[in-house]
Amino acid sequence: MSRDNRVLLLIGSPKKAGSTSESLGDYLLGSLGNKGFETEKIQVVQALRTPEGISELLWATDTADILLLVFPLYVDSLHSGVIRALELIACHRAELKQRRRQKLVAISNSGFPEAHHSEVALAICRRFAGQAGFDWAGGLALGGGEAIAGIPLDKAGGRARFARQALDMVADALEKGMPVPQEAVELMGRPFIPKWMYIWFGSMGWKRLAKKNGVLHDLQCRPFE
Amino acid sequence: MKALLLDGSHAGDKALLSARTILSDELPAKGWTVEGVTLRDTKIAQCIGCFGCWVKTPGRCFMNDAGNDIARSMVRSDLLLLLTPVTFGGYSSELKKALDRVICIVLPFFARISGEVHHKPRYQRYPALVAIGSLPAVDEESEGIFRSLVSRNALNFFSPLHEVKMVYDWQIPDDILMTLKPVVEMRRSGNVAG
Repeated sequence: MSRDNRVLLLIGSPKKAGSTSESLGDYLLGSLGNKGFETEKIQVVQALRTPEGISELLWATDTADILLLVFPLYVDSLHSGVIRALELIACHRAELKQRRRQKLVAISNSGFPEAHHSEVALAICRRFAGQAGFDWAGGLALGGGEAIAGIPLDKAGGRARFARQALDMVADALEKGMPVPQEAVELMGRPFIPKWMYIWFGSMGWKRLAKKNGVLHDLQCRPFE
Repeated sequence: MKALLLDGSHAGDKALLSARTILSDELPAKGWTVEGVTLRDTKIAQCIGCFGCWVKTPGRCFMNDAGNDIARSMVRSDLLLLLTPVTFGGYSSELKKALDRVICIVLPFFARISGEVHHKPRYQRYPALVAIGSLPAVDEESEGIFRSLVSRNALNFFSPLHEVKMVYDWQIPDDILMTLKPVVEMRRSGNVAG
């Protein structure tokens, strides 16, 4: 096979399993697997817990042709564990005598209904790519990620329809050796329900969880005042 | 006036060491009480993304370590000072570990602010935000991302004002003092000029 062959999915959620990042990443990785790519998945935050995990992360990063970094937005950026992984990868790659051309695609998902909250986080990924010697192949941002809540995308119905279409486009582009198409970026960022409805459902969801935990009336308390 | 200084520097970062020394010396002389936290020497568990600080133990993390202490100090401060090597345009992992743990100071509920959706504030007042980033040399792309990040953080953490200052490895302490002079002379109700 003359094209890029090995794809490494890096899940950047601190959750061990069942994150929305994993839903998005698995869907894209599955599509690429169906197109004949070799695929591998690593939970980044879990990998950093042991020296063996770190070695595996660095080795997998060295040998992949395409890296897919999929992560939740965390305080306008990436989770601290993912930043630590990027620091380690960049440091490791600075010591390599020879580096192959490798691509990096980043996908952010946030609980805000507007996708553009992830712009800074994706810029950080782009800067990492430049500094660590990867070819930046593009970034996508999903808003309203709480609605997917870790459900596999192909079972998430209409709420994931734009995400699925966008990721199908990304898979087709990567198969052809192309970067993420702008049309995919726009589709991924398209809200699946009106903003007011998302806010209303979100509010109900938090109250339901708080009631289940017996803290509904303490939700707005100020313990540090 | 109280300032919380979160030092996310790596050991041996001379520019940030100078910055911290200047702030720790000069701010008290202007009437500030400064609480400094060297994050690389502080045990803080990483946020596990459970949202328990919103819906199980509202306003605090169930992991009762320095992460909660920092959140408490933050809402009781007038000024939050962040010191960090600019890392791909963002914060170091050490600083980010602390900031990931302070989402408990806002509510899970959303509000529209200037047409955008953000979390609602939990507290009535929040500190001003000053971020000091270090770089080996001028790097416009990284600095631009860093300024955008601080601006977004200020929006999401309801900072009444925010400012970014850059320091560089090649600068001598007197240069860094000049850079930080507006920070040292700021007042809660005023602006950071210069």
